[in-house]
Amino acid sequence: MSRGRLTAFLRGFWYALMLFLYAPLLVVVVFSFNSINSSARFAGFSLDWYKRLFANDVIMQALWNTAVLATVSTLIAVVIGGMLGYGFYRYRLGRLSWLVWLIYLPVIMPDIVFGIAEMTFFVLINQWLGILAPGLGTMIIAHVTFQVPFVALLVNARLLALDPSLFEAAQDLYASPWQRLSAFLLPTLRPAIAASFLLALTLSIDDFVISFFTAGPESTTLPIYIWSAIRKGVTPEINAIATLMIATVFLIAMLSMLGGRRRRTSDT
Amino acid sequence: MSEPAPPMQQRARSASSIGIDQVSRRFAADAVALDDVSLDIQPGEFFTLLGPSGCGKTTLLRLLAGLDQPDSGLIHIGGRSMQGVPPHRRSVNTVFQSYALFPHRNVRENIRFGLEMQRLSAAEISRRIERTAALIGIDKLLERGIDQLSGGQRQRVALARALVNEPDVLLLDEPLSALDAGLRGRLQIELRRLQRQLGMTFVFVTHDQEEAMVMSDRIAVLNHGRLAQIGTPQAIYEKPADEFVARFMGHENLLPIKKSDATGIETPIGRFSGDFAEGAYLLLPPQSLILHRLDQPAAPDCIEAVVDECLYRGGMTEYRLSCSDWPLVATLANQGRPGPAAGDRVRLEVVTRAAAVLQAEGDG
Ligand SMILES: Nc1ncnc2c1ncn2[C@@H]1O[C@H](COP(=O)(O)OP(=O)(O)OP(=O)(O)O)[C@@H](O)[C@H]1O
Ligand SMILES: [Mg+2]
Repeated sequence: MSRGRLTAFLRGFWYALMLFLYAPLLVVVVFSFNSINSSARFAGFSLDWYKRLFANDVIMQALWNTAVLATVSTLIAVVIGGMLGYGFYRYRLGRLSWLVWLIYLPVIMPDIVFGIAEMTFFVLINQWLGILAPGLGTMIIAHVTFQVPFVALLVNARLLALDPSLFEAAQDLYASPWQRLSAFLLPTLRPAIAASFLLALTLSIDDFVISFFTAGPESTTLPIYIWSAIRKGVTPEINAIATLMIATVFLIAMLSMLGGRRRRTSDT
Repeated sequence: MSEPAPPMQQRARSASSIGIDQVSRRFAADAVALDDVSLDIQPGEFFTLLGPSGCGKTTLLRLLAGLDQPDSGLIHIGGRSMQGVPPHRRSVNTVFQSYALFPHRNVRENIRFGLEMQRLSAAEISRRIERTAALIGIDKLLERGIDQLSGGQRQRVALARALVNEPDVLLLDEPLSALDAGLRGRLQIELRRLQRQLGMTFVFVTHDQEEAMVMSDRIAVLNHGRLAQIGTPQAIYEKPADEFVARFMGHENLLPIKKSDATGIETPIGRFSGDFAEGAYLLLPPQSLILHRLDQPAAPDCIEAVVDECLYRGGMTEYRLSCSDWPLVATLANQGRPGPAAGDRVRLEVVTRAAAVLQAEGDG
């Protein structure tokens, strides 16, 4: 194949890839504005489905649950994961440094296995101790467990990329242990913490499998609602929810990109 | 640093002495970074630790800064024992080998880090930063990010960040190694001037013997974690304690002494009469060898040699010679006259006054 034809082929491949990635999303967005109840024929523009969405108490409750779950679990996961990432860095040369590999396991474990395991575990505890009934609480714990590794790995990677003598420079320049945390460690880790916050947030909003297995009757989230609603067929209402979720994720991605850009320009 | 800098105010501060007493540091049973090192550094002294890579220079600086603890031995700074004193409570600052500038802070914020941690007033902080930046010649760079600086500029920021705290002791870990020859030479003079002006105790680390000689009041030569010799640059260069120090200081003419008696010594290139000390080697520094062409009138006691190679070094030419099959190096100032060429036979006059007898490595 000549060089020119290879280039043409790769360009075509690129457009095909983009098509398969974004066309389905586009379809969902377009049909969410459909004026009739159809996902096959577009009859005209309307915001009816959005109005019905916001009037639907079940959906609003699911939205609220999703938001609470995502925010609370992300905040907890960032704190725990951040400390873990630092701990792994600090003791990376110690005898227990191999423990860091355990943190990878939940990342590569299939969600379904993880979800079933969490469910069984919570049910057992509930039977023995009467606590941890399925609900938002168990979901938060489950989400934190799969968010923590991502946070820990991001923070750890950032620390590993730093010149180790920076820690000594901070000590040498009169910083007490607390000052080292507030004036050196946290500001240095801020990009990694922000990135892991946004990643954990999207992971939580996105999650269906693990939520499904750990949810209670009152703690339906948007993905779970969509799944149960969809069995009655895809309505433009579902398309509207999906469109809102796409917009949210898009917004978060833009935020993290902007954050990255600002960091780079302020560094320079 | 080319612009004239306003003088830093002389402070009524007593620079600190440093006492290092039988200090050892082992990282593993077979990795002894420092082995029973004892030395005293005077207040306000420019003291240099010199030695090859891995000889323990950085390790000793880290012990002084408190970033590492000795396995045995005591360290005193300003007469006070440093045992159990953490780095942030020592009036000691370090210019790190890797600079260690904080990436999330720009130049000004890097320099002010130590002052912030000591909770100085905002007015005092900006006064000190302006003064130090002008002194080091980085006043134009204060608002730059760290990744916008050249190696030499980073170097100076690291220096300013340490100096601005006006510590009793400044530790400098090969601070000039990343610079080109011109800048390096200028900064050597500048650092020396700065140290005199501030009256601070400087402990300077380098593996460059010329740099050590130019800058230091005294030099300690380290070899495999042991103190090989301590003394003024002149003493170390002219009277090296042993073979290691001599070779490290750039000496090449080391002649093993085959026999010595009351009237002289015997070496591979001949016998030298005189009263020599006991030792394993006769050291002939370049200035002890005077090169004569064969057609010049012969001085007494000359030995003959063949020129193998001539290395032009600007102000002088270095001649690599063979003398009774033994390699020797001599120099001749370039004064416009053609010197000997490769293959020529020459006469060497040995000035035994300038020679020294030294011990084998490790016996010193
Ligand atoms: N943390 C450590 N763990 C194990 N060995 C170490 C450690 N730090 C230093 N060493 C060893 O101690 C010896 C002295 O190291 P040091 O860093 O003091 O050398 P140096 O004289 O500063 O060398 P250079 O000129 O290359 O900077 C080396 O053999 C080094 O490998
Ligand atoms: Mg070193």
